[in-house]
Amino acid sequence: MKIAGIFCLRLASLVTLLWLTAPLQILATEAELPLPVIERFETFGKEQGVPTNKVHAVLKTSDGKLWIGTWDGLCVREGEGKFRRYGPEEGLSHKLVTCMVEDPKTGDLWAGTMRGLNKVSGGKITRYFQTDSGLPNNVVYGVDIVNDNIWAATAAGVGALDLKTGAWKIYDHNNSNMHEPWCYAVKGAKDLIYIGVWGAGIVEHNPQEGTFKAYRDPDGDFHYDLVPDDGPINDITSWLAWNDGLLWQCTYFGMSRYDGKYWKTWVQDKTPLPSNFTQFAWPVNRYCWIGTDKGASVTDGTNWVNYFVGEAGAGWVEIHQSGKAMEKRPMSTALCNGFVLGIWADEKEAWLATSKGLSRGIFASGTASGKVAVVK
Amino acid sequence: MRISALFLLSLLAVHAPRVAAYPEPAAPVKAEPDTCVSVPITPEAAQAAARTNQAAAAQAETYHYYADTPEEMVPYRNLDPYYRYWLERLPFRGPGRDYPDPVDLKSLKVGLLSPAPYGPEGARGERTRKGVLLAFEEENAMRQPGQIPFEVIAKEDAPLWGSAANITVEFKDNDVLGILGTIDGDATHVALRATLKLETYIINTSDPDPTLTETQVPWLTRVFPEDRQQCFRLADMVVRQRGCKRIAVLRESSRPGRVGVMHFVNDIRRLGSPAVAHLLYKAGDRSLAEQIAAIKAANPDAVLFYGQPADVGFAAAQLRQAGITAQYFGFDRLMEGAFVKNAGDAAEGMTITYFFNPERTDKPWVEFLDRFQKRWGEKPDIYAAYGYDGAKLMIEAVNKSGPNRFRIRDYLANLDSWDGVTGHMVFDARWDNIAPFSFAQYQRGKWLFQPAPAITRLDKKRLSQGMTAVPDAPAK
Repeated sequence: MKIAGIFCLRLASLVTLLWLTAPLQILATEAELPLPVIERFETFGKEQGVPTNKVHAVLKTSDGKLWIGTWDGLCVREGEGKFRRYGPEEGLSHKLVTCMVEDPKTGDLWAGTMRGLNKVSGGKITRYFQTDSGLPNNVVYGVDIVNDNIWAATAAGVGALDLKTGAWKIYDHNNSNMHEPWCYAVKGAKDLIYIGVWGAGIVEHNPQEGTFKAYRDPDGDFHYDLVPDDGPINDITSWLAWNDGLLWQCTYFGMSRYDGKYWKTWVQDKTPLPSNFTQFAWPVNRYCWIGTDKGASVTDGTNWVNYFVGEAGAGWVEIHQSGKAMEKRPMSTALCNGFVLGIWADEKEAWLATSKGLSRGIFASGTASGKVAVVK
Repeated sequence: MRISALFLLSLLAVHAPRVAAYPEPAAPVKAEPDTCVSVPITPEAAQAAARTNQAAAAQAETYHYYADTPEEMVPYRNLDPYYRYWLERLPFRGPGRDYPDPVDLKSLKVGLLSPAPYGPEGARGERTRKGVLLAFEEENAMRQPGQIPFEVIAKEDAPLWGSAANITVEFKDNDVLGILGTIDGDATHVALRATLKLETYIINTSDPDPTLTETQVPWLTRVFPEDRQQCFRLADMVVRQRGCKRIAVLRESSRPGRVGVMHFVNDIRRLGSPAVAHLLYKAGDRSLAEQIAAIKAANPDAVLFYGQPADVGFAAAQLRQAGITAQYFGFDRLMEGAFVKNAGDAAEGMTITYFFNPERTDKPWVEFLDRFQKRWGEKPDIYAAYGYDGAKLMIEAVNKSGPNRFRIRDYLANLDSWDGVTGHMVFDARWDNIAPFSFAQYQRGKWLFQPAPAITRLDKKRLSQGMTAVPDAPAK
C-alpha cells in the first residue's frame, strides 16, 4: 500500500511537471511552424459586460478598439476591459449583429444585423433598410468595403452603396449569373468582388468591367465530393475571405482555397480539418484562421493547428505538421466554446467569437506568426 | 423559325454535357423494339407489387443512401467517391441545452409561415393552416390546469425573394420555440438559413424541393415526402414497369419546376432512356404551340408533366389534340380537381405518384378526417394532413423538451421514425421523411391507387446521435 502510494505521488509529480512544461514543448514545435500558436486563452463573458452568450462577430478597428456583434447588441470594449452595449434603444436597427467592417478611410464602422445595415460614425448610428435604401433584404449576413463602396450580402442579393454618390446597386439572379440570390458573404479582392451564394458557389464580379464569373462544385451533387482539389468543395457557401491572393471558402461540407489558378479542398477525417461545418475564415498573410462547430484552426494549407474544447471545458491543441505525426497536447486554458462564429486576428493575437462567450488567444512567445508560409 | 429554335434549344438543354471531373458514362443505345405499354393499376396488380416491394425491402440490411433511391439510379454508382455526405446526421455542437427556461411564460409560441394568400400556393397554404390550427386547438383543449397553452404566431409570406428571412426574424423577435412551414421551396430555403443564425427549429410540412435538406443545416425536419422520391418512383414506373424509351418532359419554367424534375431527368438517363425533349412553359401560359410542336417532333412514348394542375390539365389536353398518344405521368398535385377539369378526356390514364391512398380506412386517418370535417366543414387534403402532423410533432417536441429551443432541436433532429395521421414516417440522415410513395392512375372518372412498398430496411439502422461528437480532452 505504501509503495503504491509513493508510486502514485511520483506519477502525479511527473504529470504535473509535464503539464507545466507543455507550453515549452509547444514552443519547441511551433518554432518550425509558419503559423502562430496560441499558448493560452483569456475569456470574456457577462462579467466583462458581454450582454449574452452568443457572440457572432469580432473586429478590432484601426484605433485599437475591439467591437463585438452579439445576439443582443453591438458592443465596444472600453477602459478596464468592460464592454459597452449599443442596442435598438441607441438606434441600432436590430439587436442581433451578424457582421462588421471598418472603413479604412474614415474609421466608420459598418454593422450588418438580422434587420438592416448600420453605420456607426461620430457616435451616431445611421440605419439602412430594404424599404428606405437599396439594401436588397433586411437580413444582412456579410459586409465589406471596396473602393469606397459598401457591399452587403443579404438574403435576396448583394447591395452596393457608393459612398461618394449615395447610389445603390443591387445584384441578384436577374442581372448577374447568380444561380440563386441567397448571398451569405461578400469579400473584396483588390478590384474584384467575391460573393458567396448559398446554393450557387462563388460569384466573382469585376465592377469595372461589369462581368460575373461563377465557380461551382464540379461534382454537381451535394451527396458527394467526387475528387478533392477540383473546385469549390460545395455550392453552399457559408463564408468567404480573401487576402494576399488567396480566396478561402467556408461551407458546411468542408473548406476550399483558390489561388487564382488551383483549388485546394479539405474535409474532416481525411484532412486535419476538425469539422466539415466551417462557419468563418479570417486570413492573415497567406495563412487562415477558421471557425468551425468543433473548435478553431489556423492553417497555411499544409500545416494545421487545431484548438478544441471538451464537454467538461478542458482545452487541447492538435498540431499537424507536414511529414510529422500529429501532436496532441492539453492546454492550461481553453477556448470558451467550440462553436466558433467569428474571428479577428493579426500577427500578435487572435480574438474568437463563440456561441458561449469571447476568447482572446495569446500567442506563444517567439511565435513565427509573421512568417509567410510557402503555399505549394 | 421560332419553333425550330425552341426545339434546338430544348435539345441543347437535354444534351448539354455535365460539368464534372468524371462524367458518368453515356447511356447505352438500345435497339430493342418499343415495349412501352399502358398497364392499368388493378387491385390485384397493386397487391402483387406491394408484396414484391415488401419482400425486397425486408432483405435489405443497410441504410439506403440518397433518400432510398434504388442503386441503379444513384449518381456515380460505379465510382468510389472521395467523400460521401449524409451517411449520418450532422450533430449540432453549439451550447444552449442547459440554458434556463424563460420565466413568466404566458404561452408556448410556435411560428407558422404560410405562402402568400394571393399567390399560386395560397389555397394550399390555407389548407395547411387549417390542419395546423386544428392540432393546436386540440392540444390546448386537452391541457390540464396550470399547463401553459400553445399560441400560433401566423405570418404570410410575400412573393419576393428574401421575404421569408424577414419573417423568420419576426418570429424570433416573438420568441417562438419552433416554426412550421412552408410550401414554397425558395421561402423555406431562405427561412432555414436565417434560422441557422436564430437557432429555432423548423418542421416543414409541404415543401417538395429536394435541395431543401441538402444544406447541412441541422435545424429542420421535413415530414412531407419530397420530389426526389417521386422522381425515382416515376422513373422506375416509366422506364422499367412501362418500358417507355422516348420520354419527353414538359414543365413549368420556375425554380420548383427545375428542381422538381431534375432527378427524374437524371434517373431515366441512368436507366438508359434519356429524355428526348425537355420543354418549359410559363405558369398560366395558354400558348403552347411551340412546345407541343417540339414534343410532337420528338415522337415520345411518354410525357412527364410538372406544374400547377390547371396548367398541366390544359397542356395534356392540347397534346392529345395534337395527336400525341404518349402515356402521361405526373406528380402528386395532379390529384387536385383543376387537372381533370382542364384535361377532360386527356386525363384518362394519367399515372402520378401520391403519398398514400386517401380512401384508406385505418383508425388514425379516419378519425382525423372526421375531426377536420367537424372543425372546418370540409374534407382535409394532403396539405392539411401533413400540416396537422407537423404541428402534432412540434407539440410533442415542446411537451417532451420544455420551452428550450436547443432541447426541442435535439428531440426532433434525433427522431428516426414517427407515426402521424398520414402514416408511418422514417427520417433519413438529412431529416427527410422517406416514406415510399404510392401510385395513382386516373381511370374512368376516378383515381385508382397502388399501395406503397413498406418501410422496413431503414429501421434496422438507427441514425439518431447524441448531442455532440466532440471527444474528451486528452489526459493531463
